[in-house]
Amino acid sequence: MSTPEVAASSLEQLGLVARRGQLQPLKTKDEVRAALETYSAYVVEVPAKHANAVKDVIQDALPDLRTSDFGHLRRVVQFKFLPPHLQKTFHPPSRLPRGDEDEHSDVPEDALAEELDTVRFFLVSPTRYIQPADLLLALRKKPPFDILPTAPRILYVTVPALAPTSAEQAAKWTIDYWPIAYKNTNPYGPHPSLVLRNTADLSYEAGHWLALAREAGRQISDLQLGENIGCVIVDKTKGVSNIIAVAGDCRWRSPVGATTPQQGQGNVMAHAVERAIAMVAKKRLRVANANPDLLDRPLFCDSPFTDLEKRFFAMDNLEPHGYLCVDLDIFITHEPCVMCSMAILHSRFRRCVFGRRVPLTGGLAADEAVKKGDGSIGAGNGLGHGIFWRPSELNWKFLAWDWVDEDENDTVLSIKDTLHI
Amino acid sequence: MDAESRAYHEAFMREAIAMAELALKSDETPVGCVFVRDGNIIGRGGNETNRTLNGTRHAEFVALASILQSNPITILEETDLYVTVEPCVMCASMLRQYRVRAVYFGCWNERFGGTGGVLNIHSDPSVDSPMPVFGGIFREEAIMLLRKFYVQENEKAPEPKQKKTRELKTEIAPTDIHAPKDAATKV
Ligand SMILES: [Zn+2]
Ligand SMILES: [Zn+2]
Repeated sequence: MSTPEVAASSLEQLGLVARRGQLQPLKTKDEVRAALETYSAYVVEVPAKHANAVKDVIQDALPDLRTSDFGHLRRVVQFKFLPPHLQKTFHPPSRLPRGDEDEHSDVPEDALAEELDTVRFFLVSPTRYIQPADLLLALRKKPPFDILPTAPRILYVTVPALAPTSAEQAAKWTIDYWPIAYKNTNPYGPHPSLVLRNTADLSYEAGHWLALAREAGRQISDLQLGENIGCVIVDKTKGVSNIIAVAGDCRWRSPVGATTPQQGQGNVMAHAVERAIAMVAKKRLRVANANPDLLDRPLFCDSPFTDLEKRFFAMDNLEPHGYLCVDLDIFITHEPCVMCSMAILHSRFRRCVFGRRVPLTGGLAADEAVKKGDGSIGAGNGLGHGIFWRPSELNWKFLAWDWVDEDENDTVLSIKDTLHI
Repeated sequence: MDAESRAYHEAFMREAIAMAELALKSDETPVGCVFVRDGNIIGRGGNETNRTLNGTRHAEFVALASILQSNPITILEETDLYVTVEPCVMCASMLRQYRVRAVYFGCWNERFGGTGGVLNIHSDPSVDSPMPVFGGIFREEAIMLLRKFYVQENEKAPEPKQKKTRELKTEIAPTDIHAPKDAATKV
């Protein structure tokens, strides 16, 4: 059976309907930073023919200039390729090399266009490298500005500080800031082609596993053992998806299995993700002919409790000799908390999809929180942790998506916004 | 910190080190901890990741699972943690969610420390109140234990056997343990 068939038939048997919606790759912490950071730069208007000479002048005047500061920006730009707001402020050009300054007011249209074609806008450097007066001095010492009657025209632009991470972003910045050179790489996150390939690989089945995760949450919250939160762990290493573990949240389950009053944070260790990971570990012990209940403690809630959990826990469908959750994928109804996000990372998952963002407690999204004056946080897009992809700081990384459900009015998964998933 | 309170904290850190030594004897990464309330140890734990094949069974989880078996969760609000190695990002978040009163630790963990070593989960903006942390109590002893483990594992596996298993067993290499990146308060 192909993956779509497997996915469809596993839901059909359970009387469930796949969610309809779209996967949206999460931005990494560095991508968010790259999208926000800008700096101010000098631009000087130069005669087209002398653009290279000016480049040399700048090189001599600013020997410390790092090309990494503007490798993603076009250095020499024609008027017609400037973004609209700059065309407006830079117009008209100072008509550098010609001698007809006195007739400025009634230059015919085509003459002006021709004139625009003879100048270039040269991106000099970030403004922090040199004072404007010194820049002017440096420019006037060498051709062409040493002989031109008019002083060089120094302009200011705001440009993105870091390289774009996608072609779309490059196109947008070209209109919003300055013409961008996009090299089809992403220094701040997974390569665009990797993301594209994996998004395509999961796009069909994600809605199925999210429906299953949702059912896990429903069953456990019906028993009043936990919140309406669930997750599903899937093995797709063999091409066809196998469901390894299904678990719901168990924070309101007492040590003896009763329900507890829903006050405070409940049993944090029994979040759905922690439970599902523990079930994978138990399966690993089982396939290795070891005792799956080794060092087990009731508070971990790592035994299956609902019909759905039991059904998938009973299947011996895990490859032997595997390690933790390497190569496995996890699908969660909501964005996991910081603890669970790091548990996913510790377990070396390959991919993670969650159904709904939780800006006040989620650990995966990298979007920044809104910090209020009194030090507390407001409902922004996230806490800025971006735990799934911080390779320079953490020792594992994985791909992550959030899910945009077609049903915008779906309230089943509504939770208190301060709840940790 | 005065001599009296130093002696107080060191006594509990010695108990945490004893738990780390126990973990080492069981071929686990030697990290140990104790939870203390009103001057009494109410729970102990050591790493169990290798034996359980579960990468989340850190010492803090193990200790809390036994404490909460017979105590209400609210007890943690007046309980302190002593742990030989800085809590990881996962454990730091768990401890803060449980509202543990304070964390005292030995050495920093530069690979995935959550209280100053890599991230600052104890003090970052959150719906939970910040959690005070104090690092550097018996730091050298904690590092020495990790080194011992490293040597022990290398001696046991002269042939490159299952690479994946070894990866877990050396999840905190001794070279990862230095000073804090930005300081959690030194005791
Ligand atoms: Zn969680
Ligand atoms: Zn930990």
